[in-house]
Amino acid sequence: MADLSLKHIYKVYPNGTKAVNDFNMEIADKEFIVFVGPSGCGKSTTLRMIAGLEDISAGELKIGGVVVNDMEPKDRDIAMVFQNYALYPHMTVYDNLAFSLRLKKLSREEIHKLVVQAAETLGITEYLSKKPKEMSGGQRQRVALGRAIVREPKVMLLDEPLSNLDAKLRTQMRAEISKLHSRLNTTFIYVTHDQVEAMTMGTRIVVMKDGFVKQIDTPKNLYNYPANKFVAGFIGTPQMNFFEGTLKKNGEEVRIDFAYCNAGITVPCSKLDKVRPDYLNGETPVYIGLRAEDVSVDREAFGNNKAVVKLRISHVEELGSETLLYGDLNMDGDGYSESLTKIVIKDDGSGGYRAGDVIEAALNTERIHLFDKQTEDCVLPRIPEYNYLDCTVSGGLLNFLGESIALPPAIECADGEYELLIPVDALKAGKDIGVKVETCENICGKTLLSAELNGKMLYALVPETVTEKTLKLDVDFKKITLLKDGVKVIEPLPEVSRLDGLFVKNKVKKLTEADGKVKTVKAIEFSLETEGKRFTVPDTLAQKLFAALGVRKAFNSPLKIECGAGSLIFGENGINARVERMLDYGAEKFVKCRVGEKFVYLLADKDYDGEVRIVPDLDKIGIIEAERNIRII
Amino acid sequence: MKKYRSKKGAEKLSLVIIHTVLAIISVIWLLPFLMLIILSFRGEQVGMSANYLFPKQWSFDNYVKLFTQTKFLTWYGNTLLVSVIVTVVQTIIVLVTSYALSRLRFKMRKPLMNVMLILGMFPGFLSMTAVYFVLKEINLTQNIFGLILVYSASSAMQYYICKGFFDTIPKSLDEAARIDGASRHTIFFKILLPLAKPIIIYTILTAFIAPWGEYMFSSFIMLGDPDKFTVAVGMKSWLDNSTLASEYFTIFCAAAVVVSIPITALFIWLQRYYVEGVTGGSVKG
Repeated sequence: MADLSLKHIYKVYPNGTKAVNDFNMEIADKEFIVFVGPSGCGKSTTLRMIAGLEDISAGELKIGGVVVNDMEPKDRDIAMVFQNYALYPHMTVYDNLAFSLRLKKLSREEIHKLVVQAAETLGITEYLSKKPKEMSGGQRQRVALGRAIVREPKVMLLDEPLSNLDAKLRTQMRAEISKLHSRLNTTFIYVTHDQVEAMTMGTRIVVMKDGFVKQIDTPKNLYNYPANKFVAGFIGTPQMNFFEGTLKKNGEEVRIDFAYCNAGITVPCSKLDKVRPDYLNGETPVYIGLRAEDVSVDREAFGNNKAVVKLRISHVEELGSETLLYGDLNMDGDGYSESLTKIVIKDDGSGGYRAGDVIEAALNTERIHLFDKQTEDCVLPRIPEYNYLDCTVSGGLLNFLGESIALPPAIECADGEYELLIPVDALKAGKDIGVKVETCENICGKTLLSAELNGKMLYALVPETVTEKTLKLDVDFKKITLLKDGVKVIEPLPEVSRLDGLFVKNKVKKLTEADGKVKTVKAIEFSLETEGKRFTVPDTLAQKLFAALGVRKAFNSPLKIECGAGSLIFGENGINARVERMLDYGAEKFVKCRVGEKFVYLLADKDYDGEVRIVPDLDKIGIIEAERNIRII
Repeated sequence: MKKYRSKKGAEKLSLVIIHTVLAIISVIWLLPFLMLIILSFRGEQVGMSANYLFPKQWSFDNYVKLFTQTKFLTWYGNTLLVSVIVTVVQTIIVLVTSYALSRLRFKMRKPLMNVMLILGMFPGFLSMTAVYFVLKEINLTQNIFGLILVYSASSAMQYYICKGFFDTIPKSLDEAARIDGASRHTIFFKILLPLAKPIIIYTILTAFIAPWGEYMFSSFIMLGDPDKFTVAVGMKSWLDNSTLASEYFTIFCAAAVVVSIPITALFIWLQRYYVEGVTGGSVKG
């Protein structure tokens, strides 16, 4: 019964391979989390780091609010079930269950009570006197579960517990583990490579690949809103149909052309207004994803959201309850190979289609997924990054969608027409623009407001659900971008600037008073050195560096120190910097300073000029190990 | 139709050949032992040169003389003491070393294993002179404990087979025990050792047999003090010249039979553990 917090967790092996990269997650109490991914994706390594069987290379792991990075497995109050059960073969089932309790030095009666209780929960009472080798796989797995629950741990970790069982037993045990979870009311973390197990058991799923977290969400959201092509293809059977194509904006419509065939559809612009405009130029290749159930041989399916394509059926798979039609958008394609024109349709089988038939199928345009061809990230996200607008600047006024707002002095640009990018988190409740609220939805813990302004949708992240019908919004000018012909004219204020640094120790003589006498005591202080100045660091920060890098390496590794505008202050004994210019955004003022070759930004309350000295606020900075690119803080 | 060789016939033929070869080898192996036993019952004294096998006069005389007229019993006691202590020390050292090399990961682990393996390839007697002078310096020559020291000093180098066995015990058992709250020594004593019975037996047997029959080191460490001889050194002294040999030859044979008894007994007693594998059922079979 505990929550877990994983912050910037890395696993780096001595030869430099990164098994886990920057794993971040907050796990609430009593959740059932599933780590899923192909083999070698780092899911088991992450689990073993939580268990304490592997060292954490960098990052912070908390169980129940306590940092456990440096804690022995036994002190973490966790239990683990292994893929190969790992029962003690020379002990009876009873002794296997009692082993941990005996090590805790509980009394004989107490041990007996707990063992019998756990055995009853799992229905293994009659096997208590047997040895593991006399039992079947399913029974052994039950004993392994029993050994885990008998201690009433804070967190249950399960490492592919069902992959050694046959298909029927697996389904049965799957249900039993789910039942166990609801009965025990404990946090479960479950590792599997089987997406069906993940979808049926997890309250939230972590999809991993090559050491990176690809997406963390509920099973339903993973299925409906995959964040990238990998998740889209990994979750769901049959696999999602992927086509390659281009998007071309044409007035109020967008034309989607499929590559390698003649197929093409048109969808209204409003469906794709979260897509970055440079994808809509008719040239940038994208992957178009559509699930088998979102394609129908019934031309009238999906009502107004349909678009029709022609395809040739190559083969048919009868599954009893449903029929899978395999076809190809390319009339010359064979429909078998993993090409980008192959299509699978889920059907009820009433049409009696046969191989070779050329039919017309309806696509559900409401459920189209789009992915970038290079990064494979979703280009039609649930929360868009920016609002994409056209605007004009004239006489210090910014005009867009019929509104005009005064530009702050920090934004200096010539009059003319521009493209305006307003990040969704740069629109805040205020007084400038009046909008009509359309919807307000909760997505992954964030609240996205969709509002209409003169026929165009605006998206904004708001702190809480809005109930009003109309709302006034302000633009946070330090975050906006202005483009002219694809070239950035105005860039947003950088969130962080990075300075090179080193972690050093220095011996200092301290004066202390003891028994009325003043003594000098030698002590060691740790500090961060950057741009020729040293800043004494608090112990907690030094400990984090030691934990992440080891004592010796901590002093030899080049570091990058990340400073946001809020984590730098003016002060004596600071880094020498030269004021470049003042940035006045109206509500806030910033100073742009040059430090060596780099620029840093500081929040300012008055105008500065000439030489200044800057001190980093060590409680707010971020630290990255430069060599292996590992975030430590 | 193409002619084919009968499969059954071919199998039978190969079985016959194999068994014939095995029979011949076993005769060659067993003959000296048989000879030894028969000679130990020879009543008449004809020395080593007699050209017949079966005694003209069967008798237990040799055994009686062995225990009454020679120092054999003292030697036997010495040897037993040395062997038992060496067995205990060596078994513990080998098990502990193997556990460390199999389960712990430390710097220099691989180089250490290689060095031990290569050092083990050199015959021990190369260091004989050096060992003698070292023992002399610390006053341990003609001393049973000197011998024990020499025998158990290189115990750790026998880690190889034992480590191989530990490697077959799944690591997830250790991990499960660690999560259950076991410390390293609890894992060693409560999980690993009970599973390692066959290899413990093997270690005990080899640790016992080596000092039991060792001649070279004991012959020069105990040189000059017949009361401290081990059986191998003592018995060899009977055959040192031809006059002694003709008198003691049959007693020698009797002694050889008595010497082989503990090893045989030990093996018969321990062999059922030796064969039995115990890891079955721990993990998916």
